[in-house]
Amino acid sequence: MNAITFENISKYYPSTEVQASDNVSFSIRKGEIHAICGENGAGKSTLMNILFGLERMDSGRILINEEEVTLRNASDALAHGIGMVHQHFKLVPSFTVAESILLGTEEKPFISKKSEVEAVRELSEKYSLPIDPSALIDTLPVGMLQRVEILKMLIRNVEILILDEPTAVLTPNEVGPFLDTLRNLKERGKTIIFISHKLQEVLDASDRITVMRKGKFIGTKESKETNIYELADMMVGRKVLLSVDKKPSVPGETILSVENINVTSSSGLKILDNVSFSVRRGEIYGIAGVSGNGQEALIKAIAGEVQVRSGVIRISGKEVQNLSVEQKRKAGMAYVPEDRVHVGLNVEASLLDNSLLGYEDEKCFKKGMFLDEKKLRERAEKMISDYQIYGSSVDGLVSKLSGGNMQKVVLAREFEHVPDLLIVEQPVRGLDVGSIEFVHKAIIEERDKGTAVLLVSVELDEILSLSDRVGVMYSGSLAGELSGDEINETNIALLMVGKKGGVE
Amino acid sequence: MKKIKAINLAMPVSAIILGVIASMLLIALTGVSPLSVLETLLKDGFGLSGKVAPLFMTLGTSTPLMLTGLAAMLGFKVGVFSIAQEGQYVMGAIIAAWLGASLNLPSPIAVPMIMILSMAVAALYGLIPALLKVKLGVNEIISSIMMNNIAAYVLEYLVAFPMRADAGQKAQSAVINRDYWLYQFVYGSRWGISFVIAVVLLIVAYFVIFKTGKGYKVRMVGQNINFASYGGIRSDKVIITTLTTGAAIAGLAGCMEVLGNYHRIMTGFSSGLGFDGLSVAMLGMSHPAGVFIVSILLAGIRQGAQLGLQISLSVPRELGAVLIALVILFVAVSDVYRPALERLLSRKERKNRRKEG
Ligand SMILES: Nc1ncnc2c1ncn2[C@@H]1O[C@H](COP(=O)(O)OP(=O)(O)OP(=O)(O)O)[C@@H](O)[C@H]1O
Ligand SMILES: [Mg+2]
Repeated sequence: MNAITFENISKYYPSTEVQASDNVSFSIRKGEIHAICGENGAGKSTLMNILFGLERMDSGRILINEEEVTLRNASDALAHGIGMVHQHFKLVPSFTVAESILLGTEEKPFISKKSEVEAVRELSEKYSLPIDPSALIDTLPVGMLQRVEILKMLIRNVEILILDEPTAVLTPNEVGPFLDTLRNLKERGKTIIFISHKLQEVLDASDRITVMRKGKFIGTKESKETNIYELADMMVGRKVLLSVDKKPSVPGETILSVENINVTSSSGLKILDNVSFSVRRGEIYGIAGVSGNGQEALIKAIAGEVQVRSGVIRISGKEVQNLSVEQKRKAGMAYVPEDRVHVGLNVEASLLDNSLLGYEDEKCFKKGMFLDEKKLRERAEKMISDYQIYGSSVDGLVSKLSGGNMQKVVLAREFEHVPDLLIVEQPVRGLDVGSIEFVHKAIIEERDKGTAVLLVSVELDEILSLSDRVGVMYSGSLAGELSGDEINETNIALLMVGKKGGVE
Repeated sequence: MKKIKAINLAMPVSAIILGVIASMLLIALTGVSPLSVLETLLKDGFGLSGKVAPLFMTLGTSTPLMLTGLAAMLGFKVGVFSIAQEGQYVMGAIIAAWLGASLNLPSPIAVPMIMILSMAVAALYGLIPALLKVKLGVNEIISSIMMNNIAAYVLEYLVAFPMRADAGQKAQSAVINRDYWLYQFVYGSRWGISFVIAVVLLIVAYFVIFKTGKGYKVRMVGQNINFASYGGIRSDKVIITTLTTGAAIAGLAGCMEVLGNYHRIMTGFSSGLGFDGLSVAMLGMSHPAGVFIVSILLAGIRQGAQLGLQISLSVPRELGAVLIALVILFVAVSDVYRPALERLLSRKERKNRRKEG
């Protein structure tokens, strides 16, 4: 029996002129874990938003348990037993877990705190998703927030649970337990639909996989009968290189040098403890480590404005630890931040505006007092064509771009002034295989042009395939540095948990 | 892109239409014919007949609205909901009234000097909440309210004691030197050189905000401060300069009301014009052209209500205020009908597309 059947679903977005859903038909069996894969912008979220009543389809039919339904809004969907967890959580920071989960379900206006907490505890035990019902939302790590979102749906007795890129926000070691949760829910008879770009985890966790490309349904495969390569090819429509080719590095002079820096938090906690390393022209230096071991503070100290308690940071010989971001950029730094939606881009502005950041005072883009709009436009057009940015014009809003295309906008801008030092942080988070290939190639090209690249990533695969040298962070300090043949999974993994003996 | 623009225009227009319809319904309830009310409003708000054409008077009263609207707009653009224009407006007016009555210089020197000093004092006055916000994180709304209150009481004190012109009933300052009065195109209309200055400032603001690097910084800080700081924009500095510029403009509004219109300052001088600037900036979609149009519309509705409704139809002139309030209400609840509007626009577009291809 099919839990859901999509029949000829079509949806066109006039504002971006994108056919996000193009006559899509397929079905999802009751009680299966069904993964949906596809490039950024393939229309996965759009289809799920239609199913959850958040977007209206232009034409087509949706059947739930073999019966046609009309889904006008989220409450319609919930009434039909469909729940959805979005990629960006929508929780109120000052609420407790119990309040967040029960918000909107209250039949009586005043439920006692006690029964709230009881109800949530019962639910969390029933589905073996342990959580402290009275914890405050803003004290919880991302993995727990996700659990709250899932429980929020379960308490509404949903039978079908949609998860939009649930693992993109998780650290690698949170993913395993999360996939167990999915299996567990399946055992209790729930139907799970989840979107992911990580093909290996999709193969591990799902029963069947549907691939979409450019709004179209490409095919559904039994997970047991397919493999990464086939899926990647279906997604992109051509052969994809899943590992990057790169020549050995030809390092030149030192560009970034970090010497004994220490950073303490406002509460006096040591965040960075005597970190030293250097990155040379023409090499990629990877910073590996479980997230939360000081990487964030390290990058803030180098690329942002953070009070360094002691130590020296130099870019091309110039001391920069006390300089402003503007001055650091002038010294030759470019930076691709982890959070492209809130930091790397101004998504409510046009592509043109986004391409200008950091260049607004440059003489060559001025005509008298004014910005040389013609020149800037041509430059943005060139970025669009050079980086194959798909889904928007120069004047289009960046918020309408898919994740991969957003990242291309950041890269295009940051790579443009041929930086001496390039800092890239989790550059492929949430991106599809095709875009990952593109971004990785672009980073290596930058290296080959003679840029010193500092790569921060929690994904071991990424560190392994890109880095010429690797530093592993553990609890605020550099646990060890690897180069050449020493760079392998075992060595990094040992250093990641603080075992210094990893390298001989 | 076209649709984005269309929706930005459709919002205020539909709010105004809905506001007018709702007011007409209200009027119909009182037994007066809505059509005659509409006609009177138009005639007495925007007409060209009469000794002093209502349209000229409307243009005159729209002048300070344009300036306080522009000041509020600058705050919005840099992402700060600053409501301090009222106090800055009063400060500018006080300086103008004081200097205007006490200076003894030829007017080509005195008038620019008065304007510049009024703006400078208002800018300093605006610097206080701006610094409090940026350096100490003090909520701009709360500090603005306090600054507005302080300005209002300072005014009451000054006109009641040190600046008081005579022992008459009304607490007011002396009339300023006649040479310093700003030129009016039509005598008695209030429509004069200050209107030209306001329009020029709106045009300059448009170019600075949308066509220069400085304006780019302002917009980016306002839209996403994390993005701006990440790119090396000194957002603190940008916020402070933008807010003080706005303050200077609000001060100029007060100054020119004194020089061009009242020629003195009196108790109750701050009749909420600063706050009107907020409505103007909001209805004008934080765009100089919007501020220009909305200022004239609001001024016209008020004018029409005061002149026409009260006198010829004996409908209370507060109806004008009700109408404006309803329009603002429809803007405030626009989220409710915005999706419907968007769907309407996109349906039209799809039809067009089908026709084309
Ligand atoms: N609200 C919207 N308005 C206009 N266009 C949109 C809107 N939402 C999505 N699109 C466009 O529709 C297409 C499909 O977007 P969708 O978000 O469904 O992709 P996706 O498969 O979820 O991609 P990703 O993997 O990056 O999340 C994209 O080209 C996107 O630009
Ligand atoms: Mg998506």
